[in-house]
Amino acid sequence: MTAAGWGHAGVVAATAAGAAVLPEVLSLYATINATSFVVLAILALSLGLVWGFGGIVCFGQTAFFGIGGYAYAVAAINFGDSTLAAPVAALAAAAFALVLGWVMFYGRVGGVYVGVITLTATLILYKLVNATAGPEYAIGAARLGGANGMPATPPLNLPFDPASSLGPEASLRVALAALAVCYLAGACLLAAPFGRVAVAIRENPLRAALLGYDARPRRTLLFVVGGAMAGLAGALYAATSFVSPAMFGLGAAAQLLVWTVAGGLGTLIGPVLGAVAIQYLTLRAGELGVLDPALSRIDSNAVMGLLLIAVVIAAPRGVWPSLRRLAAGRRR
Amino acid sequence: MTPLLEAAGLTVGFAGVTALDGLDLSLEAGELRCAIGPNGAGKSTLLKCLSGRLRPDAGRVRLAGRDVTGLSVDALARAGIGLKTQVPSLFESLTAAEHCRLAARGPVDHGLLARLGLAGRAGRPVRELSHGERQLTELAAVLAARPRLVLLDEPAAGLSAEETERVAAELRGLAGRAAAIAVEHDLRFVAALGCPVTVLHRGRVLAHGAYERVMAEPAVRAAYFGRGGATGKAPGCSK
Repeated sequence: MTAAGWGHAGVVAATAAGAAVLPEVLSLYATINATSFVVLAILALSLGLVWGFGGIVCFGQTAFFGIGGYAYAVAAINFGDSTLAAPVAALAAAAFALVLGWVMFYGRVGGVYVGVITLTATLILYKLVNATAGPEYAIGAARLGGANGMPATPPLNLPFDPASSLGPEASLRVALAALAVCYLAGACLLAAPFGRVAVAIRENPLRAALLGYDARPRRTLLFVVGGAMAGLAGALYAATSFVSPAMFGLGAAAQLLVWTVAGGLGTLIGPVLGAVAIQYLTLRAGELGVLDPALSRIDSNAVMGLLLIAVVIAAPRGVWPSLRRLAAGRRR
Repeated sequence: MTPLLEAAGLTVGFAGVTALDGLDLSLEAGELRCAIGPNGAGKSTLLKCLSGRLRPDAGRVRLAGRDVTGLSVDALARAGIGLKTQVPSLFESLTAAEHCRLAARGPVDHGLLARLGLAGRAGRPVRELSHGERQLTELAAVLAARPRLVLLDEPAAGLSAEETERVAAELRGLAGRAAAIAVEHDLRFVAALGCPVTVLHRGRVLAHGAYERVMAEPAVRAAYFGRGGATGKAPGCSK
């Protein structure tokens, strides 16, 4: 097995160990937080795949996250069962990514313009969903709820057994399993000829074209895969938390970019670690005032801002790639 | 018999400057040709038109009888046109072998890498290679795709004498298997290829024929050296 193969196996083993141990040792509060971290790590992984490997500067990956969340909530409420709602959510997000990706990539849109279009798309969705407060904005039995979102989103249940809802511990295990599946799917995709060509297109679109590779279908497909992953993350977020327009918002989109870039573009594990580490640090910074009233004057956002500036200066390519280079340098 | 390449009336202008002025060019399958000319003659523009990087303002390009004018770069590559760019255009994190694998969509032709002197360096990322090795890597990738028509923009630029001879030998070995047009300023390299030469000047074909005969033509010498150079000796001409 190659070094990359061992690395992927290590990630999956760590995820499995986490699924076995964490629900047993964490408090209920920590378990719920950990589930949220893992779910948002899947979202960061999706952006890492699309941006880091496909070179698609997607500033609006939260569009697919939000669509996944809303699609899950609507489907789960109408089906009365979460079993098919999660795949429906991933498919809905993938379908939107297909339409948006087709328009952009077959329209020869590239570079920062992709970022502008995707960010605009998520902000338009944010506005649209915010404007669905009335009772007339319902899909079947599911009311969209406008700015309040859909707080009564059904939790996950055992397959085709709506009466058996999963508790926080089982939900954390499901989230970790989903993370492992998405990570492996990304790794397999990148190891396949499709992935190698996608990376080549990112590195040098002209040379790839001169060798006969059409970037458009490949970029679209990678965008769709990333969209499906983000949609699945949205579904899990909806099932374990709640659905609101904030899923599409500028704050969510910006946080996602920070997690992904700080973790490290061009790696699959970097964005995952970036998402988990920064969320954890943000949570702890927010708790400072609770632990010691003297610290309550410290703005947790300012602390995070300083931390991120330090990361950008010390590790401009992201923390994980920098650590890897450091380790490689020491081995030499 | 239908020529492999027929370019008819190719015209390209940039902001009032005519880079190609109704240029006509024809190439048989398996034929090796050099395109030379002074700076601004339209050589690189011609290659950009033939490879799809530029759409001509007027004129048609036919490949084996099929009109391919205006096709995209990747479509022309799939049709059998390979381009080696003036400045090597490579995937920086990939190795020479990986370039060849991507180009061939299959196993690496290690013989090709060895003939170009890259056997010992084929496993290193190209960002670690010298300029000459990068030139050779790009050439290897272009040839690994087995194109019907190879377009080479200054393939010998920045190469050592040994590397230049390797490239010349590889291109001479192409004859009969693939057609090639090499745009080159190094007239010694042109002479070493020993193939017919087309001289471009101001976007048109000025002369065509054997290298030494063409270089002896007063119009060509005037184009290169001005009127005063018409009596001089062309670089690379040993006789």
